[in-house]
Amino acid sequence: MPKSLFTVLIFAKTSVKRYFRDRVAIFFTVAFPLIFLFVFGALSGNSNITFNLALINQSSSQFSKQFVEQLNSNKTFKVKPDINNLSYARQKMSRSEIDAAVVLPPGFGDIKAGQTHPSGQAVIYFDQNNAQAAQTLAAVLQGVFQGVNAKLVKEQTPFSVVTKTTNQSGLSRFDYTFSGLLGFSIIGLGVFGPVNYFPEMKKQGVLRRLHITPLKVWQFFVSSVLSNAVIGLFSITIMFIVASTVFHFKMHGNYFELAALIILGILTIFGIGLAIGGWAKNENQAAPLANVIVFPMMFLSGTFFPRYAMPLWLQHVSGFLPLTPIIDGIRMIATEGQHLSQITPQLEEIGIWTVIIYAIAFRVFRWE
Amino acid sequence: MKAILKVENLRKSYGDHQVVKGINFEVATGEVFGILGPNGAGKTTTLEMIETLRPIDEGTVILDGVDVAKDPQKVKYMIGVQLQSTAFMDKVRLTELLEQQAAAYGEKVNSMELLKDVHLEDKAKSYIENLSGGQRQRFSIAAALVHQPQIFFMDEPTTGLDPQARRNLWDLVQQIQKRGTTIILTTHYMEEAEMLCDRVAIMDDGKIIASNSPKNLVQQLLKKGFKKQHRVEQASLEDVFLDITGKELRS
Repeated sequence: MPKSLFTVLIFAKTSVKRYFRDRVAIFFTVAFPLIFLFVFGALSGNSNITFNLALINQSSSQFSKQFVEQLNSNKTFKVKPDINNLSYARQKMSRSEIDAAVVLPPGFGDIKAGQTHPSGQAVIYFDQNNAQAAQTLAAVLQGVFQGVNAKLVKEQTPFSVVTKTTNQSGLSRFDYTFSGLLGFSIIGLGVFGPVNYFPEMKKQGVLRRLHITPLKVWQFFVSSVLSNAVIGLFSITIMFIVASTVFHFKMHGNYFELAALIILGILTIFGIGLAIGGWAKNENQAAPLANVIVFPMMFLSGTFFPRYAMPLWLQHVSGFLPLTPIIDGIRMIATEGQHLSQITPQLEEIGIWTVIIYAIAFRVFRWE
Repeated sequence: MKAILKVENLRKSYGDHQVVKGINFEVATGEVFGILGPNGAGKTTTLEMIETLRPIDEGTVILDGVDVAKDPQKVKYMIGVQLQSTAFMDKVRLTELLEQQAAAYGEKVNSMELLKDVHLEDKAKSYIENLSGGQRQRFSIAAALVHQPQIFFMDEPTTGLDPQARRNLWDLVQQIQKRGTTIILTTHYMEEAEMLCDRVAIMDDGKIIASNSPKNLVQQLLKKGFKKQHRVEQASLEDVFLDITGKELRS
């Protein structure tokens, strides 16, 4: 083994050992992303649309009782059992605690004279600020009634609509969010870590001590990248385990390809931390600069908020951020099952950023 | 004796302020050479230029035939430098720190042997932050010597140590000298310089104002008719130091 490689490996090994002895570091690299994972996992857990309803049955007919039971057992509706009059329901609606109130008026479901089947009209009450939910609800109820009607009155419907999903894999909202969380984890690890401990090592004279030895800057950089990649993969593996066991995350791509992309992402983003931490003389210089660089990426690269929901100009601008192709790439492999060969535009962009970032990092690095 | 270090007309300025003003000195192979002087005299800057940590403005430093300004990388393999005690990563065992330090020179070492040399073998699994001041200084020495350098620089090695730890460190310095290592140290303690140094250079205001063995410097002072108040027949190096650098307090 060449001497310079031996040096790099020993330095990387020491850093990794040190990391596993540092509870604070473990908290910020493992527990902290996991907390986010649980928060976002819980938020996007029920991806189906549900309505919170008040169901007020003023009829005593057999049909109305069956109808109430049917709504209660339907997963789309969450019927609040304690609301039994309209004025109370109105209060709840004004506080947005329920989306709408469905009233089955007296006589609903009775068989009227001269008819062979029950009939009636349900009324949906809604608050002005919830008009959209009420409309959707009306459509859904309409559908329910259509089913009932078809059974009661045999008649041919010439035209109808059937919905069929094209997404075979069943991409859930969590699967989408998870890729963003991986990006968040990479940036936390790659930037906030070195931005804290490089100035600290300068303050303690650790880097000065190394500067006296023949250790070269590139050896120091490579060993730092290596240890960071090991720590990053460790943290991300735990996130994967939690995501797939607790939140039923479905991995659609190849694990090795994803790991390769994530290592490349860590390399790129860690360069930002290395540049800031290596340049800064102390924490007071490092922290504000890190925030200025990291926060736009945290919010605009698609970590927490999908980029497609942004105005077009912002989509263009955020497309140039170094974290964006990393998260896009992760999403394409993990949730769309694409291969590395299919995400070359992203890989190219990451590559260009890596060259730029490390050119800067080498230039601005100082040992003291 | 062959000179291992030759410093000629060495200068350094920070902005308009010249802190090292053209100094010359030589250090012979195997000797302990002390650089003495009040704070701000330029000792540390001088050492840092020799140690390749600071660019040399003017003049030359030749270390065993190697020009420090021209081949700093080569010089780094030849010198060992002891810095302040805290200059090591926390949460890393002493053995691991030594292995890492050696790896910086591309070398593998028997870290337990090195720890035995400085009487820290029973602390092998400790972290640097759990050592006492004296233990840290001893460890710092072991770390600086992992690659068996020809010249060993020590910057105020006993500052802040209690008398026992200090004496212990003196023994260690003498052991290192016996192995044939040349030692250059700075200190504020004159009895330390008298005890350890074969020769000393006294610096003040960026210049070397005296250079000789402690004994000769004392003799010179006595010849000038210096008399101590209590014991007429003796003077210490401390007297020499204060005589030529002045008694007023420096920053």
